[in-house]
Amino acid sequence: MAYRIGVDVGGTFTDLMLFHEETERYWRHKTPSTPHDPSEAVINGIARICEEASVDSQNIAQIMHGTTVATNVILEGKGARVGLVTTTGFKQILHLARSQTPGPLAGWMIMIKPDPPASLADTREVGERMNAQGEVVHELDEVAAEATMRSLIETGIESLTISLINSFANADHEKRLKAIVTKINPNLPVTISSDVLPEFREYERTLTAAMNAYVRPKVEHYMTNLDNQLKAQNVNADVSILRSDAGLMTVDTARQNPVYAIMSGPSGGVAGALHLAIRAGYPNILTFDMGGTSTDVALCMGEPTIARETVLGYFPVKVPSVDVRSVGAGGGSIAHVPELTKALRVGPQSAGAVPGPACYSKGGEEPTVTDANVVCGYLPPKLLGGEMQLDVEKARASVQKIADATGLGLEQAAEGILKIVNENMFGALRLVSVQKGFDPREFALMAFGGAGPLHGNALAELMGSYPVIVPPAPGLLCALGDLSADFRDEFAQTYIRTIDQIDRQELTSMLKALGKEASDILTAEQIPAERQEVQYSLDVRYYRQGYEIPLRVEVDEFEQNGVHRLAERFSQLHERLYGFQLDSAVEVVNVRAVGIGKVTKIELPEAEPGSPDPSAAHYGEQQIYRHGEWMPAQLYDRAKLQPGHQIEGPAIVTELDSTTVVLPHHTATVDRYYNLLINKSK
Amino acid sequence: MADVKIATIPSVEIDPVTLDIIENALKNTRFEMDAVLYRTAMSPVIREQHDQFPMITDPHGRMVVGQFGSYVAGLMESWDQSLEPGDVLLLSDPYLCGGAISHVNDLLVLLPIFYHDELIGWASMFGHAQDVGGPLPGSLPTDATTIFGEGLRLPPVKLYERGQINRAVIDIMLNNVRQPEMNRADLMAIVASCRTAEKRVIELCDRFGKDTYLGACQALLDRTHRAMQQLILQNLPEEPQFFEDYIDDDGLGNGPYKMKLTIYRKGDQAYFDWTGTDPQALGPINFYLNEGMFKMFIGVYLIMVFDPQILFNDGFYPLLNVTMPKGSLIQPEFPAALGCRTHALTRLFDVLGGALAKRAPEFTTAAGYGTSPYLLYSGYDKEGEFFYLMEITYGGIPGRPIGDGMDGHSWWPLFTNIPTEYLESYYPIRIDAYSSIMDSGGAGFHRGGNGIEKVYTFLEPGEISIHDDRWLTPPWGILGGTPGMRSQKLLRRADGTEEVLPSKCDRIVIEPGDQLVYQTAGGGGWKDPLTRPTELVQRDVQYGLVSREKAIQDYGVVLTESLEVDAAATETKRAEIATARGQVKDFDFGPSLEELVATAQEQTGLPAPQKPQPVKWAVAKTQRRAQLEATNGNGSGKKEKVATHG
Repeated sequence: MAYRIGVDVGGTFTDLMLFHEETERYWRHKTPSTPHDPSEAVINGIARICEEASVDSQNIAQIMHGTTVATNVILEGKGARVGLVTTTGFKQILHLARSQTPGPLAGWMIMIKPDPPASLADTREVGERMNAQGEVVHELDEVAAEATMRSLIETGIESLTISLINSFANADHEKRLKAIVTKINPNLPVTISSDVLPEFREYERTLTAAMNAYVRPKVEHYMTNLDNQLKAQNVNADVSILRSDAGLMTVDTARQNPVYAIMSGPSGGVAGALHLAIRAGYPNILTFDMGGTSTDVALCMGEPTIARETVLGYFPVKVPSVDVRSVGAGGGSIAHVPELTKALRVGPQSAGAVPGPACYSKGGEEPTVTDANVVCGYLPPKLLGGEMQLDVEKARASVQKIADATGLGLEQAAEGILKIVNENMFGALRLVSVQKGFDPREFALMAFGGAGPLHGNALAELMGSYPVIVPPAPGLLCALGDLSADFRDEFAQTYIRTIDQIDRQELTSMLKALGKEASDILTAEQIPAERQEVQYSLDVRYYRQGYEIPLRVEVDEFEQNGVHRLAERFSQLHERLYGFQLDSAVEVVNVRAVGIGKVTKIELPEAEPGSPDPSAAHYGEQQIYRHGEWMPAQLYDRAKLQPGHQIEGPAIVTELDSTTVVLPHHTATVDRYYNLLINKSK
Repeated sequence: MADVKIATIPSVEIDPVTLDIIENALKNTRFEMDAVLYRTAMSPVIREQHDQFPMITDPHGRMVVGQFGSYVAGLMESWDQSLEPGDVLLLSDPYLCGGAISHVNDLLVLLPIFYHDELIGWASMFGHAQDVGGPLPGSLPTDATTIFGEGLRLPPVKLYERGQINRAVIDIMLNNVRQPEMNRADLMAIVASCRTAEKRVIELCDRFGKDTYLGACQALLDRTHRAMQQLILQNLPEEPQFFEDYIDDDGLGNGPYKMKLTIYRKGDQAYFDWTGTDPQALGPINFYLNEGMFKMFIGVYLIMVFDPQILFNDGFYPLLNVTMPKGSLIQPEFPAALGCRTHALTRLFDVLGGALAKRAPEFTTAAGYGTSPYLLYSGYDKEGEFFYLMEITYGGIPGRPIGDGMDGHSWWPLFTNIPTEYLESYYPIRIDAYSSIMDSGGAGFHRGGNGIEKVYTFLEPGEISIHDDRWLTPPWGILGGTPGMRSQKLLRRADGTEEVLPSKCDRIVIEPGDQLVYQTAGGGGWKDPLTRPTELVQRDVQYGLVSREKAIQDYGVVLTESLEVDAAATETKRAEIATARGQVKDFDFGPSLEELVATAQEQTGLPAPQKPQPVKWAVAKTQRRAQLEATNGNGSGKKEKVATHG
């Protein structure tokens, strides 16, 4: 009787997946997103998918939801009017930022600095001061502060941030100010920095808190809308929201701290990819999600790599996020040749959905990556089962412009565009692998998104990352990710000590306290004890370095053996990442506990592999251009491929929402879970 | 370099696709070098503030990517030892690398990149070490009169020989500095960053073949050459244009020092002539300018102004011809003191921009805070531990064609401020305010950025040093924009007494509770402030960045009590100012130099500097060299080295 639904609201489509826990049956549905009110598509989608599955919507116990509401509010600059309260002397904290200007020399000449989430006109100072050890230097003047708060609130701000210097060490003044605001206006959303990010570095903490305040009213509004409409539809499910670190949080947490969900969208894709990859027996993967305007990549080793900071446009927002790197390179990226240098460039401009690539015949004339794929024959003009016919002549005419400007032949120019866009994506994949000290040859490449399977094999050739895994329905991975995510909540505290200064007792009791907070929350979320897990980590660095490396730790081990092995572990990691160790003292900076509430994993269909002969799925032939010559590639229908089938490249496998290219000297095998695994031919 | 097999650059055609791929890979590598350094270095100056500069060169030492111009070729000429895979060179003496680094704090690491025993290029990086010994923490005394009064100077030495670290060099260096741990970490971080570049370049050769890689380097140099040729033809004047600006003082009470640059072109050859620049200073403000580096500055400036998409590299060097008089502020005789050269380095850009502006005013900017303001604070804490902080502060970015100058931002690329919470966690110091100074940016259609005010309270006894400039001559405005406000330092003693501190000073004794108000200069405005949209002036007032008074006086914008624009009054006021003012000036330097000097004491609280006198030994040395050159004919690089030290 227990059903759960995964819903991913993307820019273009809202994807849903309905799953029945007892029978392990599932249903999928895809519907256009409704940007004016994203909840509309969610509600409609739920109604439709229940109808298709003949499920009474009352039987849905849980909705797991990935949403880009918070992200879009920031990217479109359409957040709330935010008030900011700072310590006296620091009113301009967001205005001055970190004072940085871009390189190279004279880069300041062309810098464009966007407005921060809270305007200076809506910023006030209050008299108070803590020092970095958390001791009071100036007591908070509550009377004066209340007057200041009143006048600020009267200006009509919609959301308030309180961020005081050194509140990471002692949050008392922030908490007292919050109480004052609640007294003045209990309905005003208040974000205090020590809640959102209890870590040192005041600009990043203030910015993150202000970003939270900035997106909060819109997110609350969305949650309320969704809640009301679900109730109207007789759906009484618990709703959880996918966080940026691919964990779930309750709606209540999401209302309070929506900034934790700013990377919810990409993290869903990574969670889905990882879930399938682990089932297929490849826990170490590079995810490669190529869409129309951008490509997201991430590295996972049994679990996603979590970064402590995400850069959104200009702003470094410090929330734990799946370490997804995005490059402005996708199917719609436009190729061009600048006059002065005559170099061939691809992107970052994109033809988007409108006018789109030239071959879509929607008015686009600029040569895009998709057009280059058509010219080289990787995208068959008529997609099987697809409604859209691609116009080869228009694609050729657009790419001809590049051929003319560079003096290359038409096909050479098209292949050049593909090589360059592949190289751009290769660069992003290197950032998460080679540059972090990981050898990409030890990872499989999970290709998904609309264009991922088209370029995946070429990327694997560059990276040496095999096999390429193309999951079934590669365009629908995010909803699956939402469904397979665990609950997750982080509790952290800044604790700066060199290892020889650490009081073992103090550290373990601090970890335990944080761990208790984490498990209390899980219990409050009604996650039974046997499904709870608490992970501990410390951010560690050499004394006075500027960046920390997180290290997973066990509390028991500290209690027994002390913290000295930490230095050794850290030095080894430092050596792998940067190629050297130091004799310097090692210091702890932040202490963290992560509560994880396990969710039963969704199982997808599988079958025993049969004959390798794929001829039942074969439906034609197509010429492709590669390394300067034309050659025939065989066409296969993905829907007819069965476990065990083997396809020799060059081949093209088509399905409703994606096209997979298998290059010459490569073999694609369908595994028992219907994944295509592309390897170099023996 | 006799035994080194230097790879020859083949003349191969590189298809545009491969070229683009290699270009991108090199660009990424350059940023990866930065990332490795930021993450592993220890001194805040490198780690938080990013005072460091990476580079990758071709086999002949020409920079293919980087941002500071190559000095490798000169070094290769004078290097007379073996060079083998696994070697890493280190140096820190500006006089032994033609000014590639310009003070002894910069640790310059050079790593030759070999591919199958052939030298195919160099990876190099230098970073500012917080202390390299000498009489004062920081190794930048404002009163040094020779380089011997600054810090340890390392000649080019092998830090690693065939992969083995040279313990002796490290031990000698670390024994001479105040924070050996920090220098060791910074040095290792710089080497790690060069090794990253080495690894990536070798990967590129493996992937594309050595010949293709080297051919691509050449093609990238050629491409920049062609692009720069166009920029020169389009944007440089055939008639000589000159511009002058000043460094206020040399730290010893002498000044101001003039920098003068004349620019013109003949065909596609561009000429940059520093004749007319003042002779070298006695104090440490001399800037030993490397010719290649200056060419890079010119190139970067032209590229940023006119076409930011071009890759910077050495490819255009043959198009630029530079004249730098010996014995001048920018080409001082050894052993002139060099520690505080950032003032001249920054002023160089003011002068370059000013000279170019005469031809293309719409494209260029006003002058900014014009230096690299430092605060140094050192002493012994309660546990008897030595502490030493060096912090770089920023100021007003000038009004620019693209928009307002940023308030309190860095003129230096990629530099960032040190978080207050970091400072307070690690040093006995409290920051009472960190803000931009209302009205300190010059008025303009695009406003100049405001300078910074940072208020420090010191919690332990110790000493402080200050390095700043633009306390006497304000940063100029352009095309009707007005100058930015000057810098100032005020020390408020715990007992309530106040004193104005000079913009360059050392050995100021501090007691707990003493408070320093550190103000940097604002940026000049760009174009006529009377044309600035009234709502922007209104916003600046609402934000507390401009006062109501300045809105009226400089912008002619009248705001009501509730900060609404009074349109009628504004129109009248603007007309009134326009009539009184007449034609706007191309450059607004504020009061004349004579007036600034005459009113210095009264307006700044500091005595005016004394007119600079030539440094006698330097003059004699310059003359002797001229005589020697006249009798011996042209000199080689080797002879130059001898003459410099002779």
